[in-house]
Amino acid sequence: MYAVELDNVNVYIEGKHILKNITLRVPYNTIYVIMGPSGSGKTTILRVINRLIELNPNAKIDGSVKVLGYDAFKIDPYDLRKHIGMVFQIPNPFPHMTIYDNVAIAARINRVARKREELDEIVRWALEKAMLWDEVKDRLRSYPHVLSGGQKQRLCLARALAMKPKILLLDEPTANIDPVNARKIEEAISALKEEITIIMVTHSPHQAARVADHVAMIYSGSIIEQGPVSQVFLNPKTDFTAKFLKGEV
Amino acid sequence: MYDQRKIKDKLFFVFVLSVSIIAVTLMLHMIFVTLSNGIPVILRAGLGFFTSIPPTPLSKNIGGIAPALAGSFIMTLTSLPVSISLAFFSAVLTTEFPRNPLSIIIDVVAKSLASIPTIVVSMVIYLIVVVPMGKFSALAGVLALTIISLPYSYTYISTYLRSIPATYREAAYSIAMGRWRTIISVFVPIIRRGLLITVLMTSARILGETAAILFVTGRYRLGVSVSLLDPTDAVPLLIFDYMLTPYKNFQEISWAAASLLLLSYLIIFTTTKFLVKEVKL
Repeated sequence: MYAVELDNVNVYIEGKHILKNITLRVPYNTIYVIMGPSGSGKTTILRVINRLIELNPNAKIDGSVKVLGYDAFKIDPYDLRKHIGMVFQIPNPFPHMTIYDNVAIAARINRVARKREELDEIVRWALEKAMLWDEVKDRLRSYPHVLSGGQKQRLCLARALAMKPKILLLDEPTANIDPVNARKIEEAISALKEEITIIMVTHSPHQAARVADHVAMIYSGSIIEQGPVSQVFLNPKTDFTAKFLKGEV
Repeated sequence: MYDQRKIKDKLFFVFVLSVSIIAVTLMLHMIFVTLSNGIPVILRAGLGFFTSIPPTPLSKNIGGIAPALAGSFIMTLTSLPVSISLAFFSAVLTTEFPRNPLSIIIDVVAKSLASIPTIVVSMVIYLIVVVPMGKFSALAGVLALTIISLPYSYTYISTYLRSIPATYREAAYSIAMGRWRTIISVFVPIIRRGLLITVLMTSARILGETAAILFVTGRYRLGVSVSLLDPTDAVPLLIFDYMLTPYKNFQEISWAAASLLLLSYLIIFTTTKFLVKEVKL
């Protein structure tokens, strides 16, 4: 059993073949990193898993996508997303909600907590897991615009965690933030894998080496190599992977 | 090279500043002329200006504009919620389901309606409402005003909705928020200032519209009518009618009514600017 299984998934957007026969299996409670150069289709894989791809009316998908054993495209997308948190490349906390509400809303919608005390507890837990609690505990009623980019991203991580998801999708979560915040996010992610299956997209082989258990190398819409991190990094099977790991492409 | 760029920069700044000063001066002049002609009349008339009916042409008594105030108030209050709700739901439909045939029709109709001369709307409402009812009415005025204001409120709201970055929709959907909850809990609060501006712009449009109600309300000025089914008056109609007469007291009332309209706009817009804060993205 795998947390996520993709079999021969193809995605076409406006007739363009974006993902080509993607097959991958993500074991439970691991960090699975999809790496590859920009524009290779990494983000599209994540959007197929939580069906955000359907927001694009021009996208056509075929193949099999199983999430937690269920056919992702046969269940209600909202039920599916209850189990899958996501952090996007650009931090997107809700600007009209306070820091507290940004986290609490995810718990409220998914009925993780109903009473005020339960909510307070889950907000604190999520902010602590995202390594943000100490920095915001005295300004939970402030709005996210007072936070730095890295803090906003960790707030988004806390929001995703407050749903108590079984799977967490991370779309280059450190791409637009400073190294200190990036390190905190990586630490948070590494600590979370005991409870959550994490699928992360990155264009940085160094980051993949630091956090991944398994990696998949994607190039031009196709997965050209995948396996345990040590195997891929020490004995890359393709020239492209070898060059990518050396930072040559 | 550097100096040339600096000179161009300064010239552009002076040009922009001059054009802005011209625009502001014209606007301030209009406000000054209207208020300086109207406020003294209101002060002379006192409270009676708001509670009395208009005087006879040669009367020394200034009288008031109570029938027009009541008519404008009732028609605006009835038309505004209808216009805003229809515009809101239409805008939601066309932004959420842009490929739906109904959305395409709504968009085309709204754009067409915005360019129809308002006096034509008045003629159409006269034919389809006033003639069958056998009398002028505030209801006919409400219908005409709603038709006139709907394309404006729709355009405002749909523009605000479309301006919301897609990333907030993705964030909402990613925490399993449904479509309607996303609209109510995320989109509406983000554009709250825009929505309020829409309400104000629409009410300003309704309050100030003259041609659309020219043939339908009946300009009833002998008393205050509060019934939607009876003839009524409106402030802009009274301004239009009285300004064209040769009587001094009617012209004074016209200036006073125009000042009142202008003041109400200024108060509403200034209050909004300070009270409703924009959401910082």
